[in-house]
Amino acid sequence: MQTNRRNTNKWYSSKYWLIALVSMASLTATAAVKVDKAAPNFQLTNSQGEQVSLADFSGKYVVLEWTNHQCPYVKKHYDSDNMQALQRKYTDQDVVWLSIISSAPGKQGHVSPDKAEQLSKSRNAAPSHILFDESGEIGKLYGAKTTPHMYIVDQQGTLRYAGAIDSIKSANPADIAKATNYVDASMASLAKGETIAKKLTPPYGCSIKYKS
Amino acid sequence: MTTAIVRVISLLLLLSFCTVAAGNQHSASGPHIRVSLLSEHQSLVVGQQQWLGIRLSPELEWHTYWRNAGDSGEAPNVSWQTNADINFGEIQWPLPEQIPVAHLVNYGYSGDILLMVPITLNSIDTLNATTENATTARISAELSWLVCKEDCIPGWATLTIELPISVTNHTSVDAGLFQQTRKRLPAPQKLNGKYEITEQFLTLSVEPPHSANWQLMPLRADLVQHNQKQQWLADNNSNSANVLLAKSDYFSVVDEPLEFLMTDGNNGYYLTAHYNQSPSVTNSAYKPPIWLLLAFAFIGGLILNIMPCVLPVLSLKAMALAHHANNEHDSNRSLSHWGYLLGILASFWLFAGLILVLKSGGNAIGWGFHLQEPAVIAALAFLFVFIALMLWDIAPSGAGFANLGNKLTEGVGFSSQFFTGVLAVIVASPCTAPFMATALGVAMVSPALDTLLIFTALALGFALPLSLLSLSPQFAKALPKPGPWMETFKQFIAFPMLATVVWLVWVFLGQTNSLAQLILLCGLLLFTLLIWFAHKSRGKKSLIALILAVITAIYISVSANNKVNENATNQQLPSARAKQNSQPYDPTLLSELRNQQQVVIVNMTADWCITCKVNEHVAFKDPQLNQLLQQSDVHYLVGDWTNKNNTILQYLNQYQRSGVPLYVVYAGSKSARILPQILTPEIVINAIKQAQQELNHANK
Repeated sequence: MQTNRRNTNKWYSSKYWLIALVSMASLTATAAVKVDKAAPNFQLTNSQGEQVSLADFSGKYVVLEWTNHQCPYVKKHYDSDNMQALQRKYTDQDVVWLSIISSAPGKQGHVSPDKAEQLSKSRNAAPSHILFDESGEIGKLYGAKTTPHMYIVDQQGTLRYAGAIDSIKSANPADIAKATNYVDASMASLAKGETIAKKLTPPYGCSIKYKS
Repeated sequence: MTTAIVRVISLLLLLSFCTVAAGNQHSASGPHIRVSLLSEHQSLVVGQQQWLGIRLSPELEWHTYWRNAGDSGEAPNVSWQTNADINFGEIQWPLPEQIPVAHLVNYGYSGDILLMVPITLNSIDTLNATTENATTARISAELSWLVCKEDCIPGWATLTIELPISVTNHTSVDAGLFQQTRKRLPAPQKLNGKYEITEQFLTLSVEPPHSANWQLMPLRADLVQHNQKQQWLADNNSNSANVLLAKSDYFSVVDEPLEFLMTDGNNGYYLTAHYNQSPSVTNSAYKPPIWLLLAFAFIGGLILNIMPCVLPVLSLKAMALAHHANNEHDSNRSLSHWGYLLGILASFWLFAGLILVLKSGGNAIGWGFHLQEPAVIAALAFLFVFIALMLWDIAPSGAGFANLGNKLTEGVGFSSQFFTGVLAVIVASPCTAPFMATALGVAMVSPALDTLLIFTALALGFALPLSLLSLSPQFAKALPKPGPWMETFKQFIAFPMLATVVWLVWVFLGQTNSLAQLILLCGLLLFTLLIWFAHKSRGKKSLIALILAVITAIYISVSANNKVNENATNQQLPSARAKQNSQPYDPTLLSELRNQQQVVIVNMTADWCITCKVNEHVAFKDPQLNQLLQQSDVHYLVGDWTNKNNTILQYLNQYQRSGVPLYVVYAGSKSARILPQILTPEIVINAIKQAQQELNHANK
């Protein structure tokens, strides 16, 4: 009887960890967006100082790209012109491309609007808008973990892809040619009305430098 | 701005270093890190396994990564080149640490690390053929890495060493480093475990070799949320532990084996967890072929003939047939032969149809579901008493009704045959409800056509013996010759009838209360008295007595249902009297408790179910919850799914589940709420309290 009581106490203490764990898990579960569910709307300021919201682009495909120009994994895709080529390819097809910077002020990748414009010009980038998410609120709403982290929202506002830019997790530009580009593959499937083969992949890259 | 400048400089350094490292260096350095290629021995010996190592030495506060980097980061990558015939093995990863970075967790190494790789020189043939200096092997490692603090810097280098080939090998100056690193490697012993997948968690069962503060690190990055705390629960009954891991957002595992490293920082074991294939969950396992089901249903139907509540009715019938066995002048003989069979078929089909309709309506039902209504129980009690009275020849003699019972069941015409069939099915149901539940459980969860076929097979089996008697003169002639013994036998079989009444009245008590039972017993007494009076008197008086008897039966039966609702909450149930903390799950008990507007929590569990055990540890051992379960209006039913069990399967199927755990909290007949697969005491307590409130509101 005595042993039982002791055991009960033991579980009693460990139990609270579990409760904390379950509640944390449910928080993250509700916070992270779900593929094939409505993409939550947001409003952010762009590099021109204008307010841009996801709902403005209803009826168009929208690609979200979390970025940080100092991150080696972002550099891998910009120095090789891989990311800019995708931006040009899809913005030409009337797809809206939103590059989002969630780096907090003082942290890696945080830039002024002017600097952002300048970076776009120097790198020959072609996003529809560069958006600033200094508070990290939208990044966390979307569960963005790394730079790059890619999302595709369809014309109906449904999230159709979330994850890595491509299939090879490395900082080596030589791997780009060998990898399957998930944004390209997903957009192609969507255009053909097919189901996306990999609609949720683990992103790779640098951790997003959130405020906290 | 200064940090930006520093980063630009470090990038330039990186670029310059890449070119430098491309030469014949065995070591190189990048920003915040030095890397080198080392050998444990000074030379290579043919056919012997030897060790090379890649040493990564990051600066203070910088780190490199394990094979699974965790939420971000990247493991070092090596590809080998050599002019010799050498086999390179896999990297032996030392035990990593968990490195929290902002909101993420990585697995890696914050200090110096040696990534050891076993190599074997197979032969020196290629060296002879291709190089002048045949006694030296040249080995290059193309290495890429990522070194991080909060920011990360990738690096690449080609490291080269040359090792002479000899017949003896002496340890090199770096041998000590290899020896130290071996102490940091996981044990060669591999562990096995099992895992299950729930909505938000991965539950694992492992047997650690000794107790320690173990952590599991998955080899795959997309398995668990690395930044969530792991919950370890020791199992009191064995050495095993159950672990709860929060599922990754990118979780896509179906049932493939999963690999982990289990480590406490000093010791480590590789662990392969296999999907916990519950022994009876797969579809093919619980669905026997349809012909087998039909055969069982047919045999079941045959057995029904000898059930205590059916046998008397059929015996009467058989005796009637014996009477008429020699009567060759029966005009309707050919048609009437089929009456009994058709009566049974029609009744069973009606049942099957009703069940299909209710099933499509999503109702929780089972064979004998009509027995969950106290009114039906009461009505059956009256019917059985009436049959017993008839058997004792205390049948009413009033106008037109004089020989109704006899005519209907003892006659040989089509309608009487048909009626006997219907009556047989009705009277059979109390006996068959518990008996046939298993076979019919399968019918319930089968497609509509299968259900219909199973019921048909059951009906055919049930009807066979008596149909044979009536169809074939040979069989009929085999019956014992009629005589005075028949009268004695007829009177005797009234007792199994009354025994059934005793059972029904007991069931009735379970559904209602002792007052309702008293009223029913008084009603039965009055009914018997009236029938007896109808039997004794003649003409109008007899008819009035009979009508009064019928009214008594109907009134008592119908009012029985009201008793349930009026007295549900404050009565003493047979089950409540003997109340322990939990009772085994029983569908009849569940529906009784629900009808009585009780709070019921059903826990479907199994010994082999890891998730169930976790919940039993964490939630159901909670003292507060146990207090709640002790309350008189809360009932805790536990279903054990350890072995195959169709009753529970049927329950699981109601909730579109094919396995355990399943937790449902009922607020009487008002609502059913499915709880998540991972429980905390609070989840259960709140669900129970909510159900209590719901019932309280409904009563006001």
